[in-house]
Amino acid sequence: MTVSGEFIAFLALALVAIIGGVLLLNLKKVVHMVVALVFTFLSIAGIYVLLSAEFLAVVQILVYSGAISIIMLFGIMLTKHNDEDEGDSKGGGWRKAFLFLGVLAFGAVFYIGIYNLDFGSAPAALHENNPEQIGIELYSKYVIPFELMSVLLLVAFVGAIVLSRNDEKEEADKE
Amino acid sequence: MDLETLLSYEWSLMGPEFIIVIASVILTLLDLFLPKKFNRRMLGWFAFVAVLAAIVSLLGLLDNQVGSILHDTFRLDSFAKAFKLLLLVGSALVLLLAIDYEPKEGLTEYRGEFFYLFLTGLLGAMIMSSSGDLITLFVGLELLSISSYILAGLRKKNLKSNESAMKYVINGSISTAITLFGMSYLYGITGSTNLNEMSGMLRTLTDPQYTYLLGLAFFMIFVGLAFKLASVPFHMWAPDVYEGAPTPVTAFLSVVSKIAGFVILIRIMVSIFSSIPVGDGTIPMLFDLQDFIGFLAAVTMILGNVVALRQRNIKRLFAYSSIAHAGYILVAFTAMSYVMFDSIWFYMLAYVFMNLGAFAIIQLITEKEGSEDIGHFAGLYRRSPILAVTMAVFILSLAGIPGTAGFIGKLNIFLGALMVSPSHYVLASIMIATTVVSYFYYFGIMTQMFFRPAAEETKLKLPAGTNAVIIICAVATILLGVMPQLAFDFLQTNFNQFMDFMG
Repeated sequence: MTVSGEFIAFLALALVAIIGGVLLLNLKKVVHMVVALVFTFLSIAGIYVLLSAEFLAVVQILVYSGAISIIMLFGIMLTKHNDEDEGDSKGGGWRKAFLFLGVLAFGAVFYIGIYNLDFGSAPAALHENNPEQIGIELYSKYVIPFELMSVLLLVAFVGAIVLSRNDEKEEADKE
Repeated sequence: MDLETLLSYEWSLMGPEFIIVIASVILTLLDLFLPKKFNRRMLGWFAFVAVLAAIVSLLGLLDNQVGSILHDTFRLDSFAKAFKLLLLVGSALVLLLAIDYEPKEGLTEYRGEFFYLFLTGLLGAMIMSSSGDLITLFVGLELLSISSYILAGLRKKNLKSNESAMKYVINGSISTAITLFGMSYLYGITGSTNLNEMSGMLRTLTDPQYTYLLGLAFFMIFVGLAFKLASVPFHMWAPDVYEGAPTPVTAFLSVVSKIAGFVILIRIMVSIFSSIPVGDGTIPMLFDLQDFIGFLAAVTMILGNVVALRQRNIKRLFAYSSIAHAGYILVAFTAMSYVMFDSIWFYMLAYVFMNLGAFAIIQLITEKEGSEDIGHFAGLYRRSPILAVTMAVFILSLAGIPGTAGFIGKLNIFLGALMVSPSHYVLASIMIATTVVSYFYYFGIMTQMFFRPAAEETKLKLPAGTNAVIIICAVATILLGVMPQLAFDFLQTNFNQFMDFMG
């Protein structure tokens, strides 16, 4: 295994992404969690750049690190919430040990599969006209799933409205 | 792509899907603009008519050859037609139930939302059944899942409903993530998302390391999709969600959503994993890993039936019973006999009728009593003999007693498991043993209905829609039990053994 600049960059980004994810689970304050999540999002964007998917990286930063984190912060600001997470999770040391072993085994099984996997030579024209290539694929070959995504978005919107609308208030207004 | 090429595709193949999309869009707009006083039940009838229209349009397409649009992102083969028919019939029956649904705390505010979210969920299931591309399959899966998450939480003032929606979302997203992880390995190795291209690529694969990775992908996808089937290891959500969700949604999840889960499982497994050579290159991977699927099928049957014995809540009981039924269908999938498609299709057809019929009666009684305890079935025979007898038909069919559709379905699966060589004797005997166990809880309901005194003697009033569902289901359950050749002839003449599944 040769140590190249790309390899070091990948290691750093992957490490930040995983640490961000672990911190998200372990931190106690909601705002800290969101910050940890932003770190994960940003480092995933970095990994996209390494894979010559610059367009995807930009979208990742715009949508995830930008929009989603901001909306989460707004949500935290606008709702009542207990800032502190109460109590520790249940389960004794054994359970945690088993969980850890399970995660370790899962990691090992996949590591064996991919550590010296050879995919042959990569296609050369990956980074050329990135958005154009995506656009052509999306609007010619994948029109049907693309249109279905719009239905999915509609469903998600309706769901968000239905589940978060405050009914009590409306009824009080009527009276 | 210009307009001319776009129009050159045979869009008429997508007729049923277009009807459902248009209907759900119209319903959305109607719900938005109609005055508050307007009875939203009319929207339900509109949705029902739309589903009927989709069935008619699908029947019109039955004679068509295999057709595909845009590189198989939409694909109409016999498999798609047969299972889409089941989905549509099931949905039409569930819609009839939903129109009559009237819980204690009321669903008046969200009745409109209910109907169009229902249609979008159905659309997701239909897209899954006729897709030859991983991307469309996944989008369909998500459309179905997200619609059902919202449907499960529609009774906003009911704590159990809130809990069930929350559990459903969390479990669902974990399982989706696992499925997607598995799919990403498939895409990484083959470099394509088209199922046909993938299986072509994989046939020539020899590198053992790729095979190892594909094996991992198999496990990931299977475990992830087990969620939709509510089979072990992802069955834990089912009892809680079934209990908390509004009854028509429970019916939808236990019938339509489950059929859709099997559809996507069969699509991916049969078209991809049966073309990967393992070992000396003679056995496909799917057969090599049969023991694993068989094990899960056995655990699912045992767990579903045994835990159901202890349930006092009728909806939880049916949740475990539906887990068990997923196990029976997995037996047919494990055996991979040449009648696999036929026996799974027939079992699901029987399951649609017997389960929805039972749910119609459950909805009627739980609504009346406001609680879901089994005790409310006591003395049903005194209060309404016809209702008790039809419920008995559905329960006998679910238990698999001769003369009902459930028996023929089970017999087919059983014979299929013994027909192949080497025969799956262990699985077949577990299936019989668990069926016997299931008699205890199914007949427990029957004892309540026929031999226990009723707590009150008031007559039950039958709404028209529920009445229709009960009659249709009872007739179909008995008819398919006495003359199963009706369904099999239909399969033979229209779908020709599902020969065009791969081609």
